[in-house]
Amino acid sequence: MTSIAIPRRRKVPVTLWLGLALLGILAWATAGLDIDGGRLAGLPKTLARLAGLFFPPDVEYGQQAVIPAILESIQIAWFGTLVGAVLSLPLGLMAAGNLFPRIARLIKPVLAMIRAVPEILLAIYFVPVVGLGAFAGTLAIGLHSIGTLGKLTADVVESMDARPVEAISASGGGALAVLRFAVLPQVLPEIVALWLFRFEINLRASAVLGVVGAGGIGGVLLNTLRYREFAKAGAVVVVTVVVVLVVDAISGTIRERLVRE
Amino acid sequence: MISRPRRPNQATRWVVSAVAAAFLALLTFWSARGIGFSFLELFGNLGKMSRLISESFPPAWNFWPRLIGPFIETVQIAVIGTLIGSLFALPLAILAARTVSPSKPVFWFHRNLMSVLRTMPDLFWAMLFASAVGFGPFAGSLALIVFTVAIVSKLTAESIESIDMNLTEAVKASGGNWFEMVRFSALPQFLPQYVSYVLYAFELNIRASTVLGLVGAGGIGMVLNTQRTTFQYDRVTMIVLFVFAMVLLIEQLSAAARRRLV
Repeated sequence: MTSIAIPRRRKVPVTLWLGLALLGILAWATAGLDIDGGRLAGLPKTLARLAGLFFPPDVEYGQQAVIPAILESIQIAWFGTLVGAVLSLPLGLMAAGNLFPRIARLIKPVLAMIRAVPEILLAIYFVPVVGLGAFAGTLAIGLHSIGTLGKLTADVVESMDARPVEAISASGGGALAVLRFAVLPQVLPEIVALWLFRFEINLRASAVLGVVGAGGIGGVLLNTLRYREFAKAGAVVVVTVVVVLVVDAISGTIRERLVRE
Repeated sequence: MISRPRRPNQATRWVVSAVAAAFLALLTFWSARGIGFSFLELFGNLGKMSRLISESFPPAWNFWPRLIGPFIETVQIAVIGTLIGSLFALPLAILAARTVSPSKPVFWFHRNLMSVLRTMPDLFWAMLFASAVGFGPFAGSLALIVFTVAIVSKLTAESIESIDMNLTEAVKASGGNWFEMVRFSALPQFLPQYVSYVLYAFELNIRASTVLGLVGAGGIGMVLNTQRTTFQYDRVTMIVLFVFAMVLLIEQLSAAARRRLV
């Protein structure tokens, strides 16, 4: 009986080495943590006990303190996004290499640097200037959004259809006419969709800014947990999850319609 | 003279636009009042701003040796969060992908689980875990594990939904069960994208892990919080610059890896 030799796959050793390398990295990383087997084994019990303390959530506290705080987070996110949107539009257009090749090379790194600083670090600098509260948070969200929205706006403009631009230029239109009749009609729906998407992200970001005293619901959660008032913390968690889900759903529906049309 | 026929729904379109515009204007007005927006406050505080700038610059350069240890801890938190979180994200993504999920109820359950996980910001998880297991990097790692599961599973599920279903049909037609279908047809198709999402999550986690310490969940943010609350802004600036440089460096490495992959 003859057997046909099946060529062995040579991929196996590579996968093996990769797996070993990842395990090694994981071992290095876990060595830095103060964990032992007992702590890890007790984890499910600890979490279950804490989750039990969260329920039932404190409804009265929810109405009195949590709802106003999440509304403030929404206000911070909305106004911050608006500031970012308004300021990022001209910057994003200028950062588009196909419209302004020279200026784009200057603006792009600036946007990248703004983007690289998380909102909460910006808030640490705004709080001493304008005081504790929502205004500092709004400025942090707004500034960071200029960096992210500016980049995304430039990306959208760079991937648009170039032919309308040529058509307007060929028929004697100047830079402003090109912008008004060839660029904006093409890119605006997509850019507005990006703004809405950023609003969803900013709502999550503004929810945590209270940790450094920049307004919103984050400070409420920090304080309830600090004094170990878990039923109140439960109210914060429930309200946050519900509000974010609702805002996401509304914003997502509008975004879908915008991009489809 | 021939008049152009008007689109029948134009009037309703105008009404809808007007209502939407009014709603957005009201929302903006309400927000501006709520946050106490004022140009006066923005530009009336130039004195405070110049004082803050003079306190923040020059940065406390000699402070950087004390940042290396905490930053390594930050990287370790991000590594654990990424690797373990991605491991959990893979089955969740498969079960939450409309086309591949074994049944409708399974799909709905995991899709909704994914949405709920995504509503909570990273620092909320960090606060919750810090009060469960105590302050320190262990809480931070747990927070980033959940955060990674939320992001990677969402992105991967979307990739799975866009794979070529003819190949999965082929496996089924030749008698393969659900596991074989996933293993031999779906997985090979979305694996490269999954790996690139894992790297993307690592970049996000590095950023996130630098601020976890603000709520006591370990890493360089713990040092940042001490300096911030004692108003030593020259040290705060040093930490921010250090984090900035390290994050950019790690992102360049990760982006290069992603480019080679995809």
